[in-house]
Amino acid sequence: MSAMTAAIRRRRHLDVTPYLLVAPAVALIILIYAYPIVRVFIDSFLSPTAARGTSVGLANYGFVIDDPVFWKSAGNNVFLLFGVPIMTVVALVVAVILFDQIRGWRLYRTLVFTPYILAVPVIAVTFTYLYGYNGVVNEVLRAVGLDGLAQDWLGSPKLVMPSILSVIIYRELGFGVMLFLARMASIREELYEAAMIDGAGWWARLRYITVPQLRTVISFFVVIELITMLSWVFAYVYSMTGGGPAFASSVLELYIWKYAFAYRAIGIASAVAVLLLVATSVLIVVQMLVRGDESDTGEE
Amino acid sequence: MYRSLARLGGLAVVSSLIVVACGGSTPTTAPTAAATPAAATAAAPSAAAPSAAAPTPASTEPVSLEFWYWAESDAPGANQWMTDTVAAYKAVKPNVTINVVPQGTDTLISAFQTAAASKSGPDIASQWATGPVLSFVWSDSVAPISDLVPAAEMSHWLNTNENTYNGKVWAMPQYLLGIGLAYNTELFAKAGVTPPTGDRWTWDEFIAASAKLKAAGITPFVGGDKNGYLGAWWFANIGGQQLNSVQELAQAVVGTVPFTDPKYTGWYTNLDNYVKAGYVNNDVMSLDLDQGVRLFGQGKGAMTFTSDGMLATAIKDLGAAKVGVMRPPKLGTGTLADAGNATQSISHFVTSWSAHPQDAADFLQFMHTPDRLTAWYKATGVVAADDRFDATLVTAPQLQTMAKAETTGPQVWLENWIPPQIDGDADLPAGQMIFSGSGTPADAGQLWERSAATWRSAHPDELANWQQLVK
Repeated sequence: MSAMTAAIRRRRHLDVTPYLLVAPAVALIILIYAYPIVRVFIDSFLSPTAARGTSVGLANYGFVIDDPVFWKSAGNNVFLLFGVPIMTVVALVVAVILFDQIRGWRLYRTLVFTPYILAVPVIAVTFTYLYGYNGVVNEVLRAVGLDGLAQDWLGSPKLVMPSILSVIIYRELGFGVMLFLARMASIREELYEAAMIDGAGWWARLRYITVPQLRTVISFFVVIELITMLSWVFAYVYSMTGGGPAFASSVLELYIWKYAFAYRAIGIASAVAVLLLVATSVLIVVQMLVRGDESDTGEE
Repeated sequence: MYRSLARLGGLAVVSSLIVVACGGSTPTTAPTAAATPAAATAAAPSAAAPSAAAPTPASTEPVSLEFWYWAESDAPGANQWMTDTVAAYKAVKPNVTINVVPQGTDTLISAFQTAAASKSGPDIASQWATGPVLSFVWSDSVAPISDLVPAAEMSHWLNTNENTYNGKVWAMPQYLLGIGLAYNTELFAKAGVTPPTGDRWTWDEFIAASAKLKAAGITPFVGGDKNGYLGAWWFANIGGQQLNSVQELAQAVVGTVPFTDPKYTGWYTNLDNYVKAGYVNNDVMSLDLDQGVRLFGQGKGAMTFTSDGMLATAIKDLGAAKVGVMRPPKLGTGTLADAGNATQSISHFVTSWSAHPQDAADFLQFMHTPDRLTAWYKATGVVAADDRFDATLVTAPQLQTMAKAETTGPQVWLENWIPPQIDGDADLPAGQMIFSGSGTPADAGQLWERSAATWRSAHPDELANWQQLVK
């Protein structure tokens, strides 16, 4: 046997060991992540409630596409997406203000971040009382003579989604602020010093130094929040309105939950879950492409 | 990077397909159609229990039972009563330990759906009568109570017809719940409104009284529909008054007649007019059902729909002299317009997977012992669904009126006779449409029809069973 062949054989023998070592972790990941996804995909082609194994082809998808409540729910998720730019801009502004270390900035930072560490149902139930027709918000408005602004924030089909969006922004804002602050702390001081020497004011420094330096983090935050608005708002909606009034605040997760757990129609719920998975996967791929482009161009 | 990801992803998918192919799951058999349809007509409260198999003796070994229990929302005080009952049972049967898990109203059905899907979970569970119970019977999740409890015992239970199917009784009633129209006598007097001389108003009289109350600056009707259940109570008490039997309702459920037929959903026009006239509290969509009823106990409204337990609470809050009760106003001309609305509301049953079905049934029987029936009433003010209940305990005249209405003549709670999906996707949101002003009565009718069609499409197995009920 030649020395090269022996070396190749030794290398092939040695190559198995790392795989064996990571096999348990991979198996766990497959069990927790991959198996449910494959199972849901298969279930989406099976009969909603009858014996497993009864294939119905695309009937579940057809059922969902014909259901106005599905489109209402999807539309509400799309509406929530428009909250992402608002959230991003507000988080950026707050982060910049805090980074300037105004008086009491540590306290403000704590206040901004605290909602993010509270459980969603806690926030949601609190705001349910705040937003009631005779709740705190309206009582304050009436007390200062702004009766006309006192609305049924959660009971009006037109206002319920903006009201829920405001609660989501209130909670998710802290995450963005902390992300931006962390990145801003690593921006080189020399860039700001050089800019100030050249006469750049606060706005110019923000526009030409801070925001470009934050671009990667901003894109990350935007994509994460887009995914949140598509598939992490169930707790808000369920706690605050249950999808009402009359489906006005229904979202896709609630739709999936209802069909899976309340109506025993796993096939239909799985079909919607697959559609939602496709939508969020598109966003993830976009994020990876954007981050790939940025690393290709050498930007941080 | 992408090639590595693709390799990993492919490995994950292939591995998962192998797991799925090797694992799979035991197919659940589709429920068979009933040989004998349930008693579907409006029925008298007491019904003879069908013959039951001789129950097997309970075990003497240590037994642990889990009971998913719901009643508190209907009958405040129920959870404490259950705690006391478990303690009392422990004294009688020291080898049996019962863990009671109170259930939430919004998750009552969905939580048990999960247990039913996996055939694991509680030994005893609670579900609302007829539709919800039968849907679980049809998914083989319920053991017939008539196989576990002697016929002589069951003969004392009231309203067992609500859960009778295929010749068996599947669940046990605990209490009888009726809905009355409570009124504040003080506010009535202030507005110059006179209560009816009979036991109820006509619809026109109800409207006239509401107009007088509003003119006097009093909110005529208070309630909460944020969770949709106020609309469901209106459906159950007013909505079915054009029908002659529950089979007529089932005809629409199975698709023989459309729900848009005015006899099913025409009453939404009356409700819509009532709401638009400003006779309902302006925060109705901000409050859940029980929160809205509490407004009545706070003196913030002249009338409300109320259960026995809620009425007992209102009497405590306002004082007996200020509270009156009548039957819901008469709007329709069908046979059901004159039927009572008492139901057992919640039913308790032994699950099909319980390892100790006889012990579970024994505990359910214990809940009907005279001592427990008396304690139940003292704790909740709600009449027990048992002819051994000591009616002399009901001393408040208002509660006597409710008890008499609940035990006299045929009784139908219409909401029991629709599948849970139609209840959740039509009954509840249709009422929300009207109370929030976001839809018209025609929209409400369309919603019922669409929801029924959706249910029929998604549940062909249950449709077959409901068609048997209709026959």
